[in-house]
Amino acid sequence: MMDIKRVISTIEKSYIENNLKKEKRIDGRGLWEYRDFNIKTDIIAAAEGSSDMSLGDTRILTGIKYDIGEPYPDMPDEGVCTIMAELLPLASPLFERGPPDQQSIELARVVDRGIRHANCIQTKRLCIKENEAVYIVFVDMYVINHGGNMIDCGGIGSLAALISAHIPEGKWTEDGPEWTGEYLTGKDIISDLPLPITFGKIGDSVFLDPNLPEQLVSEGRLTISVTEGNITSIQKSGVTTFTPEEIKMLSKKAFDIAKDLRSSLDLWQYTTKIE
Amino acid sequence: MVLLIQDEYPEKLWRDDGKRLDGREPYDLRPIKMEVDVIKNADGSAYIEWGNNKIFASVYGPREVHPHHLAKPDRGILRVFYRMATFSVFDRKRPAPGRREKEISMVIGDCLEPVLFLELYPGTSFEIFIEVVDADGGTRCASTTVAALALADAGVPMRSLVTSCAVGKIDGKLVTDLSGVEDKAGEADLPVSITWFNDELSLLQFDGQISQPELEECLDMAKDALDKVYNLQLDALKRKYIKIQEEAEEMGGATD
Amino acid sequence: MENDDESETDDEFEDEETSREIVAPGEILSEDLDTYNPGRGTILNKKRDKIISVLVGLKQIKNQYINVIPLNGFYTAHPGDKVIAIVVDKNPVKYRCDINAKYQGILKPKNTIKYNKKRRRGKYHEKPDTEKYEIGNVLVAKIISADRLNSPELTTVGKYLGKKTDGIIIQIDPPKVPRVIGRSGSMIKMLKKATNCNIFVTQNGRIWIKGQDIENERLAIEAIYKIEAQAHTTGLTDRMEEFIKNEKEKRGIN
Repeated sequence: MMDIKRVISTIEKSYIENNLKKEKRIDGRGLWEYRDFNIKTDIIAAAEGSSDMSLGDTRILTGIKYDIGEPYPDMPDEGVCTIMAELLPLASPLFERGPPDQQSIELARVVDRGIRHANCIQTKRLCIKENEAVYIVFVDMYVINHGGNMIDCGGIGSLAALISAHIPEGKWTEDGPEWTGEYLTGKDIISDLPLPITFGKIGDSVFLDPNLPEQLVSEGRLTISVTEGNITSIQKSGVTTFTPEEIKMLSKKAFDIAKDLRSSLDLWQYTTKIE
Repeated sequence: MVLLIQDEYPEKLWRDDGKRLDGREPYDLRPIKMEVDVIKNADGSAYIEWGNNKIFASVYGPREVHPHHLAKPDRGILRVFYRMATFSVFDRKRPAPGRREKEISMVIGDCLEPVLFLELYPGTSFEIFIEVVDADGGTRCASTTVAALALADAGVPMRSLVTSCAVGKIDGKLVTDLSGVEDKAGEADLPVSITWFNDELSLLQFDGQISQPELEECLDMAKDALDKVYNLQLDALKRKYIKIQEEAEEMGGATD
Repeated sequence: MENDDESETDDEFEDEETSREIVAPGEILSEDLDTYNPGRGTILNKKRDKIISVLVGLKQIKNQYINVIPLNGFYTAHPGDKVIAIVVDKNPVKYRCDINAKYQGILKPKNTIKYNKKRRRGKYHEKPDTEKYEIGNVLVAKIISADRLNSPELTTVGKYLGKKTDGIIIQIDPPKVPRVIGRSGSMIKMLKKATNCNIFVTQNGRIWIKGQDIENERLAIEAIYKIEAQAHTTGLTDRMEEFIKNEKEKRGIN
């Protein structure tokens, strides 16, 4: 709604803050409402899985690639998943060129932590030969348009991309790993779905899914990643503080919101079927 | 990268029925779709699907130059940043830009600059960000084409659009618009760009081996292909507004 | 609050001479150079026998000139323009303001002094009142000077100029500003009446809005974005009036 090419002004700040006190938001949403989601998967021909995900105006393209390498010594029979994010300068005048900065590293790490601590990536299935050959799965997020709350958009987009993936299945032979002719898809790669749920805070008002002006005005965010039964990660960013009561309330809300989101998105529908 | 399926070059680039591997005739273009105004935050933007190529372009400008020492006191500067996503190619690409990307950035910039009126914007810069999210041969041509659209979408005055396409030779025969596999396995690749205001070529590169008469034929084939792509560009720019006009008329607006 | 300049603006989009034909850069507008001259948004080709468009816009033929009315573009500062500026930096000698142009606008303290004339016992006492602004403040300013090479200079001294303390601002494409105002202010008058909002449109595409509640403000904002998108169509004022009326019913606003 507002031009984000420059400093956010004092009247925009007070406008958002005053209306939040009345539980009103500039785009007409309720305090606990998400903007519209739009997901397309397996759209990149060169990738082994992909998603084009929009949350409101925020749009992120995620691609899945793989490599085969030696496992970590302390996890000899487990595959590895590595997550990267690029805030492309084409997506916003706020993004600068160059190597990943704090914001893009935060995006990658928050999504990573949510996934890592869930029983999400089937790391044991991603092993071809213990101590010799495991899969390294790359999840690379590219932000195409920044409209606020890249974490939820990127996190859920990453899950959709992993679900849509079709990675060649390898077997171990004397000459090294060889293709079996089959593919690893959907539940071979990913099991639990930890959904990141991000809340913003301005003044004393807390709300779900900050859009860009709200994000620029607010001084902090709280992301809670939840699977169906558990919280798998929490990240508070920015200088805002949350009271323990707020955190208890938000953690409960996160489960309710995630439950609705899970059923409305129905992410498993994006599993690729190989003929 | 250790991959289970290898990126192999096919033995023959022509099928038994005389068509190319993807079913095309020698002078056929791959399917092309273009759209403008796809990235709301940008001053201008466009998206192109050309065969399997998928490329976004964003324009920001005129704006102040960072770092400041690059600014020119008597004219604006044009900076192009062509980048490829890690997952845009079969063998995952490292995230950081390599020499090829920097070379292509420069070539695209040289190709677009002749149509701009940079002397009207001293001390400022126009920046074009190109991101290839899926690559399959001819990315520099598709990128130039979509970048020109993004500039027009931004309202940057231009002497004309710029259109780009490649022609080449595969297994002895001349063809238009090489796909990825044709580019890799073929004998010659000639990407060209045309600036329509003076009907001259602003990008011309060549890799491979051809005879001089073949070169002349290639240039003629290129001109035909460029005409076709140009019409798609014009359509993409106008469609956005024509669609709105038609919708408005349906709602009963066209009285005066 | 009324914007006096509204009644003077020329709305090119509603002009009879503006066709509905959309042209693109490089397209030939005319080869008849005996009758026509190249106007705004056009140039002559190298051989000087064709008039070519340099923009995406609507073709207009007016007084033997062929012009292109731009459908998108950026703001270029001109002296006399009213703009909405946001203070982004300040030091003792000047304020730097974002005015949505290629250079930031400069506001010197001497151009913020307001004189309060008070008549007391037959004499005028002039009391200079320097406004002090902070970073993030929204100012309605006027451009005093601007050229291609230097940062434009602003002033907040004048009628309706100064700091805004409430309301909200949005940004539209500068070429669409005349359409939001309308011929003789017809569009903006309709918008203000229909949404009961105070709306102030400035040349750099920024629009200040204040209504009685957020619902009306949101409706005004949506209508303005629609006008921006449909500026090149006909019958827009009536269609927008319909739209606002219908939405008010649907949403239960009064």
